[in-house]
Amino acid sequence: MTSKYYENKSNARHDNYEIATPQLEKRRYIEALKLVLGNAPVGSTNQQVKDNALAITLKVLLAIKSAQIEEAVGNLSLDDIDILMKYIYRGFEYPSEGSSGHLLLWHEKAFNVGGSGSIVRVLSDRMRV
Amino acid sequence: MSQTLTFGDSCAPITCHAWNKDRTQIAFSPNNNEVHIYQKEGNEWKQTNNLVEHDLRVMGIDWAPNTNRIVTCSVDRNAYVWTQGDDGKWTTTLVLLRINRAATCVKWSPAENKFAVGSGARLISICYFEKENNWWVSKHIKKPIRSTVTTLDWHPNNILLVAGSADFKVRVFSAYIKDIEDQPGPNVWGSKLPLGQLLAEFPNSPSGGGWVHSVSFSADGNKVAWVGHDSSISIADATQGKSMIKVKTEYLPFLGCNWISNNSLLVAGHSCIPLLYCHDGDELRFVAKLDNTQRKESGGLSAMKKFQSLDRQARIETSDTYLDSIHQNAITCISLYKGTKANAKKFSTSGLDGQLVIWDLDSLERSIEGLKIV
Amino acid sequence: MSATLKPYLTAVRHTLTSAMCLEHFSSQVVERYNKPEVEVRTSEELLLNPVIISRNANEKVLIESSINSIRVSIMIKQADEIEKILCKKFMRFMMMRAENFIVLRRKPVDGYHISFLITNFHTEQMYKHKLVDFVIYFMEEIDKEISEMKLAVNARARICSEEFLKRF
Repeated sequence: MTSKYYENKSNARHDNYEIATPQLEKRRYIEALKLVLGNAPVGSTNQQVKDNALAITLKVLLAIKSAQIEEAVGNLSLDDIDILMKYIYRGFEYPSEGSSGHLLLWHEKAFNVGGSGSIVRVLSDRMRV
Repeated sequence: MSQTLTFGDSCAPITCHAWNKDRTQIAFSPNNNEVHIYQKEGNEWKQTNNLVEHDLRVMGIDWAPNTNRIVTCSVDRNAYVWTQGDDGKWTTTLVLLRINRAATCVKWSPAENKFAVGSGARLISICYFEKENNWWVSKHIKKPIRSTVTTLDWHPNNILLVAGSADFKVRVFSAYIKDIEDQPGPNVWGSKLPLGQLLAEFPNSPSGGGWVHSVSFSADGNKVAWVGHDSSISIADATQGKSMIKVKTEYLPFLGCNWISNNSLLVAGHSCIPLLYCHDGDELRFVAKLDNTQRKESGGLSAMKKFQSLDRQARIETSDTYLDSIHQNAITCISLYKGTKANAKKFSTSGLDGQLVIWDLDSLERSIEGLKIV
Repeated sequence: MSATLKPYLTAVRHTLTSAMCLEHFSSQVVERYNKPEVEVRTSEELLLNPVIISRNANEKVLIESSINSIRVSIMIKQADEIEKILCKKFMRFMMMRAENFIVLRRKPVDGYHISFLITNFHTEQMYKHKLVDFVIYFMEEIDKEISEMKLAVNARARICSEEFLKRF
């Protein structure tokens, strides 16, 4: 049962960049966010795939303006919030100009919805993004 | 609604507690190698006994209601069965656990003719009494447990046992001991039931991870509920093809869970508040928080100081030593005080703050809006 | 710059509260022993994923947790040489007295300036929310103290050189 779960997610691997970029270009950030989170290669063994997904997700997160973060978070399901939290923490590992500050805003808004439980799952889930 | 009991002066954490049959006596361990027994006298609790036999921390206590025996297990790899003589003194009987790591939890079976001990040796010891030598001997369940067994619960049929462990799995085993009981018939969990037979194995989470902190069989034995370190609560139903339902919560991880009716589950843990969840068809939904205490703020704090604290340390409350709940630290043990798993009326919780609180479900149901126990 | 301080501390506070859910756990490897699993790291299933929270490239916190212990490592902002020296000396001073701090680790984790090791025994003796408060307070005060020390050093240096140059 668990390996089927892996397969479904890694089949989506090629799509993240392709499906998200057109949305980004059209400035439909909220759709882009839902797409990258929904297709996140959680638990994939291919590091390159995960790195690519991380890069495009961070791009989306940084593109969404501070004032729109709350609305973007409001559109996500609870499972997506968990994946969002995982990406936020991954994003902290690669600070670039202003990225950490923006991610801190994301962290606050995601925490308001997901609570301590979403952070606990970042720590305890063996399948990482 | 709730009643806090105090035992003696120390505020040491209570590791675990157990009640006797009529709830006039309680045995608990104050975070060390001793087991204190208190007796209710009027409105007070007086210490009647101090059982000291273990030399390291006591991890589990269980009090068999009908045979009036206490079993304790400890980090020192031992377990003892205590029986009370006519003079009121408690004496031990030797238990041969044959484990080479710490014992973590212990539970009497429903018929009280055997008990199960979980351990860090990655196995479960099922112990039964051998009359010829006047001691308790054990049989082991080892496969396929891969890490410390953290929690156990018995099925009402006295044969099946569910164990949660630090390898993120919950397993239902058969603990049939042919020396002391008859061959069991088949049931929803399985039909072939030799000792150690694995009848079901559930991973705590599809994303892997989350040590299992507590498991509980429902009153009819058809459902198993557990709580994991990923702040989730799960139920597996044998009558629905062993399917699993899981809810991920926004609270801190839970350390204890207990059924209080056929569909209502009580959980409590690091958030210091007991919560009620309901199993409804194929969803598990939140019902209510059972502790809505608000600590009054101490007077004399100026608005300026409040904002300073908020600004500097990102803190909301100012009188912040006390939490907004009865328990001031994590709840580690839940026990039914009155009633059964099918219909519980009162339950007790103990935790790291050294408090033991008895909660009355009837009055909670009346006072909390939206709370209905089904 | 200081606009990120409050969200940074809030994020660290929430993460610490979530990561500090510790319980007593006897070693699976050595009988009758209790070791902080985050330090010995012998059993992989007992460790949680480490997370980093960064405010910028120079200030971050690494939180590594396990079933019975948590390690919090802090990288402190050091803008120039003086702050580097002050920070090093100050941290060394405290780490030598780690026993009095109870939760301080004698050596920082690689890549960080100071580390805390908090075990389930600490959370049993002390309130968890106060331990978290302490770490946050520490993070805040360190920056202030180093700034104050730097000002004091510069002031003293100015006075010394004034006195010296008065001769000429």
